[in-house]
Amino acid sequence: MPSAFSVDPRSGVPVYLQLIEQVKRLIAVGALAAGEQLPTVRQLAVDLTINSNTVGRAYRDLERDGVIETTPGRGSFVRSNGVVTDVRRNLADVARTTLEHAVREGRTLGLDAQELRALFDDILQRWFPEAQEDKA
Amino acid sequence: MTPTIEIDRLTKRYGEMTAVDNLTIRIPKGSVCGLLGPNGAGKTTTFKCMLGIAPVSWGMVRFDGVHLAPQTFERLAYVPETSMLYEWMTGAEHLEVVRRSYARYDSARAAELTALFGLDPRKKVGALSKGQRTALMLVLAFCTRPEILVLDEPASGLDPEHQRSVLDLVIDAAAGGATVIFSSHQITQVERAADQLAIIKGGRLILEGDLDSLKSSERIVEAIFEQPPTLNGVANDPRVRRIEQSGRVVRVHVRHDSEGFARMLASLGSKRVEILDQSLEELYLSAVASTVG
Repeated sequence: MPSAFSVDPRSGVPVYLQLIEQVKRLIAVGALAAGEQLPTVRQLAVDLTINSNTVGRAYRDLERDGVIETTPGRGSFVRSNGVVTDVRRNLADVARTTLEHAVREGRTLGLDAQELRALFDDILQRWFPEAQEDKA
Repeated sequence: MTPTIEIDRLTKRYGEMTAVDNLTIRIPKGSVCGLLGPNGAGKTTTFKCMLGIAPVSWGMVRFDGVHLAPQTFERLAYVPETSMLYEWMTGAEHLEVVRRSYARYDSARAAELTALFGLDPRKKVGALSKGQRTALMLVLAFCTRPEILVLDEPASGLDPEHQRSVLDLVIDAAAGGATVIFSSHQITQVERAADQLAIIKGGRLILEGDLDSLKSSERIVEAIFEQPPTLNGVANDPRVRRIEQSGRVVRVHVRHDSEGFARMLASLGSKRVEILDQSLEELYLSAVASTVG
């Protein structure tokens, strides 16, 4: 399990946000299943060599967002209630972040919305050829 | 809640020279505070004042709300920047002194730490390298399982493998509830181990806070204009820490509200405005560069 997590403390993105993103991503891709236990705060801090309060903050936010639940004395678990919708939402979250990054990059390079949309359609066509044929 | 370590308006003067100037830092229990600053910023003086090694000119330091007392040392460990070891004594003899002085001394832990750093306890300090002396001081500090750790450049002279061990020790201690303040020239160490940050320059605090929050608020807004812009008044914006301009490209280091500031630059006619995250190193350099020491 510990090997599933990795953060880059040298990045400008706050480490607790990186962790939140990771947990959501692991759930979204099925690497963490409903009811599965997460490492303890201390264990994860030691494994990743990062501050334990940072890990604690990520876990608290994940709990507030209903992604995990923590039972004192037992540990933190991926929530089993409404997991299907959660996973969907998480998937969308992960994809949105990546897309946003791409759009930002494109805009910095000087592409306008129309050019970006054309590129996006082009890429979609390569990955979903069937969908495009249906439309045509 | 009472902070475990509280440096309250600490001031230290040496004659006309003010080494530490009205410094206030509060560190809650279980937190790790990284103290950064250029050489001569007052980091070591701050530590010496905290421990009563150097008399304070003004202000005070409290541990769990009370002044430094003999009992404080039972649960506190200090690793000084320069060796306080006795040249003619062996590592084992130093450990024996700690064993006799500290009820909390843990011999199994001492043995574990000695092995971790690959130290030969039979060697006299005089025969140890700089890195081995640092390692021995770390063994002496951590073998009492302290609740408060004051570490002045705790990885200096150590090889990369053992620098990593120091990080592990600090992270593990804090995860177990210990409160730590440590200085380091290696920003990556601070970035990993600390959750609180204090940057000092010329004895004054120039940037302080929760590391993750600082990374969220302190950002760079980069704007590209069609023509080299005139940015009258922008420098006086309270959000601005520093402006760098080279021709049509402007990079502004902002303290907070980077999105609002980005909109403002866009309204000045910039076609492309980008908000960039800052690593701690960039944040540090920016804070130090924008402050007159």
